[in-house]
Amino acid sequence: MFDIDWKGLALPFAYLLVLGGALMTFSTIYRRRKIAESANLAPWFGPHLQRDIYLSLLHLDPEDGGEKSPKVPDGVLRAALLRRAVEDIERLIHIKTAKQACGSLLQRGSVGDDLWQRFLRAEKEMEEELRDVVTEANALAPNWGTIIFQSAHEIAANTKLRQRLDEIQAQTDAEKAWWDKKRGQIQADFMKELEESEKGSTKDGNEDDAVVVDSPKKGGKK
Amino acid sequence: MSSSDYSYDEQGQFFPFFILTVTGLVTLPLTYSLFRRSTDDDALAPRISSDYKTKHGDVVASLRKAQKRKQRKIKRAIFVVLGWALMAGMVYLIVVTQRIVPKIWNPYDILGIAESFTEKQIKSHYKRLSVKFHPDKVRPDPSKNETLEMLNDRYVELTKAYQALTDEDVRNNYIQYGHPDGKQSFSIGIALPQFIIAEGNGKYLILLYTGLMGILLPYLVGSWWYGTKRMSKEGVLMESANRLFRHYNEEIDEGGIITALSTGKEFEAVLKGDQAESGLSKIESRISAEGESSPFACGFSTKDKEKLEDLDSGVRRKVLALLWAYLGRVELDDPALTKAKFEVGAIARKLNQSFAAIALAFGNIGPIAGSFKANQHLIQAVSPKSSPLLQLPHINDKVAAAIEGDSKIHLTVQQFMDRPDAERRQLAVGKDLLTAEQYKEAISVGKQLPFFRVAKAFFKVTGEKVIIPSSLVTLVIKGRFIPPGTENIPAIDEVSLEDIDAAEDDMDAILGRKKKIVKGPDGKPVAVEENSALPPLTFAPHYARDHSPKWYAFLSDSKQDKMAVPPFTFDKFDQPIFTEDGKPTFNMVALKAQFAAPPQPGHYTFCMHVICDSYVGFDTKMEVTLVVEDASKAAEMEAEDEISEPEEDSIAGQMQALKGQPTGEAPKPKRKQDSSDEESGTDEEEDDASDTNTDTEDES
Repeated sequence: MFDIDWKGLALPFAYLLVLGGALMTFSTIYRRRKIAESANLAPWFGPHLQRDIYLSLLHLDPEDGGEKSPKVPDGVLRAALLRRAVEDIERLIHIKTAKQACGSLLQRGSVGDDLWQRFLRAEKEMEEELRDVVTEANALAPNWGTIIFQSAHEIAANTKLRQRLDEIQAQTDAEKAWWDKKRGQIQADFMKELEESEKGSTKDGNEDDAVVVDSPKKGGKK
Repeated sequence: MSSSDYSYDEQGQFFPFFILTVTGLVTLPLTYSLFRRSTDDDALAPRISSDYKTKHGDVVASLRKAQKRKQRKIKRAIFVVLGWALMAGMVYLIVVTQRIVPKIWNPYDILGIAESFTEKQIKSHYKRLSVKFHPDKVRPDPSKNETLEMLNDRYVELTKAYQALTDEDVRNNYIQYGHPDGKQSFSIGIALPQFIIAEGNGKYLILLYTGLMGILLPYLVGSWWYGTKRMSKEGVLMESANRLFRHYNEEIDEGGIITALSTGKEFEAVLKGDQAESGLSKIESRISAEGESSPFACGFSTKDKEKLEDLDSGVRRKVLALLWAYLGRVELDDPALTKAKFEVGAIARKLNQSFAAIALAFGNIGPIAGSFKANQHLIQAVSPKSSPLLQLPHINDKVAAAIEGDSKIHLTVQQFMDRPDAERRQLAVGKDLLTAEQYKEAISVGKQLPFFRVAKAFFKVTGEKVIIPSSLVTLVIKGRFIPPGTENIPAIDEVSLEDIDAAEDDMDAILGRKKKIVKGPDGKPVAVEENSALPPLTFAPHYARDHSPKWYAFLSDSKQDKMAVPPFTFDKFDQPIFTEDGKPTFNMVALKAQFAAPPQPGHYTFCMHVICDSYVGFDTKMEVTLVVEDASKAAEMEAEDEISEPEEDSIAGQMQALKGQPTGEAPKPKRKQDSSDEESGTDEEEDDASDTNTDTEDES
């Protein structure tokens, strides 16, 4: 017969229990937190307006409004899809350029891990989105899926260029005012000089001045 | 002494030593690190002397002081004090505790004789003693508390001692083990006091262990781990760095960077609670009011204004408004807002470093240059589009506008200072402008600013004449610090433009010790201590931190607008910039940056940027061409330059034979290499001064 000292064994068992319990609590809390964190990760991109427009156009139910709402014309749907593709192209370019930088910054510890998680998720979402656009395009017109992103790319590049031009154009008024002011001042200076020296013809000076001032303005407007 | 068990330190004679050593190992390095602060660069760097005080100089000063207090390592100091206290206690214990010296068994002592006794003398002495102490002869003395046993023992000891000196076997035992009986038992002591294993203390000990291992250790490891995850490498909160990354785009300009910086999480600590929005409308109306020389008082563009107005009101919007108020030096007439304004400016600069790292990772030159510029503007509190002249004391928008006239391009400080004094004075001094004293103050500060004027920039490979593909190229930038408006600038000494390689037998230089070879006035190489001269602390009366200026040099590919060689930082120089009394020394300073040459031979034209991070308009941009020669061509050229062809039996000759070139071959007709432009120098130095390219043009 063994005499088991149950009292004495209580301590080691309690130790094991406490240890196991502590580890288990830690792991559950840690995991739950991680899941909550990744669920709450802010999306990389904002709401996709173009996609939403396209989808709502696509699912515009004729039954809803009865006979009143006509079928959405195909052209409108295609335009909406193209717009959606343009937005996708912009996002795609952004992801492509940011990937390497984000990776190297993460390695150096200059940005955080959750940024990388968000980035990876955005990348995955982007893939899904592209696939979806291609199938949608093929559904609207045969084989359109292969070229839709080419046209979208052109459109995106064009829009960018036009924006830039508009920005430059927007400065014309201010520039014009400045040059006019400058011209007035130079003219006044000339007049003063002429009056002082009382030599040469006033007209010539003005013409020369006008030519000098005009040329950069033309350049700016181009 | 008879058991070989571990014994605890009952008398407490060893554990103080143990604790003293362990505490000392931790406390001494900590103490060193605590007091090393006094040799900080910021404390040692000279100051630009000026009595100028801004209107809110006291606010800026108090913020600087608060920052210094924060940097003081209070926790470390407490730890050090505790450590020293513990060490002192241990020393006290050591001094007080009586030491028990284990007795060494010495037969001479037992017999009570000198070691010089001969064997005969010992024998006779022993005989006398044995007669005297034999247990049969003596009786135990009750007054001395003696027993028969003790008497016996004493006699045995005497006999042993005698035998140890006379008997051969016993003597051998004595010599070998230090005792006539042979090997003695030994004990191992643990330098821990007895009371920790004493009965009844066990539970406390377990508690202590649990506390240390179960709570303190995980806490320390955890706090360290999460601390490193919380802060980015640039010392900003990770969350802020992430937000900055999200706001990066290729076309971002300086205003955009300022807007991006306002996303920092650090600001939330400054604008807590009801401070988050208070006074926002006031700031916004002030900064959007019409300015002296710009459409808005704070100098932002309409685009930046729209960006501000697009934000939801809250901390971020207030931060951005405050930042613009800081940059535009807009008066806010409210002590709390004014303080927040300066604090926000200082934090934004810190965040900008993180942005710079992000921009560097992307490698587009636009945002990189933008972040460097934003740094300058944040330190000097000058709006991106306003005049660099605002860096000088007393000069405000109005004075700057008067000085510049209605030119579209701003005057830099150098251009202004290079004008004749009379002209400057006429422009700046007048009614509503500067008084004569203020003008003098501005000029005196201007003459102390360290403007780095590049004299020459070239590429070289240490010890080689040409640059071969994938070699380690050194970009050497030679220049002098010439404050704006300095008169009588001495001409450049041609000798100082050369870069001398360390002699091959100079181990110090090869091992990278802090010595540098410079040509002395007599043309002989002189070794000087490298990188010891500090530039004066930045003159930035609005910036709420002390800042040492740094210079950055980087190469960009101007065709692709991409970074080619990432920036190298220079904050210490090999030669002093100013003399003790603040006069420029005009020493030629060398900035060196090493990088790997491109893998293909050819001519590479880079745009070299030398940027000072603290002053606006002190940047230098120039074209430099890196000529990479084909490796075989380079070997050819080397052969041409050889004064005498190596003999067949010499090591050099064998080396050359291995390379596949016949020795003693007639020298080929010399081909003129336009790219390798050898320095004119004395013959023996021609080998040392090897640079390949000098066609650099100063653009600025």
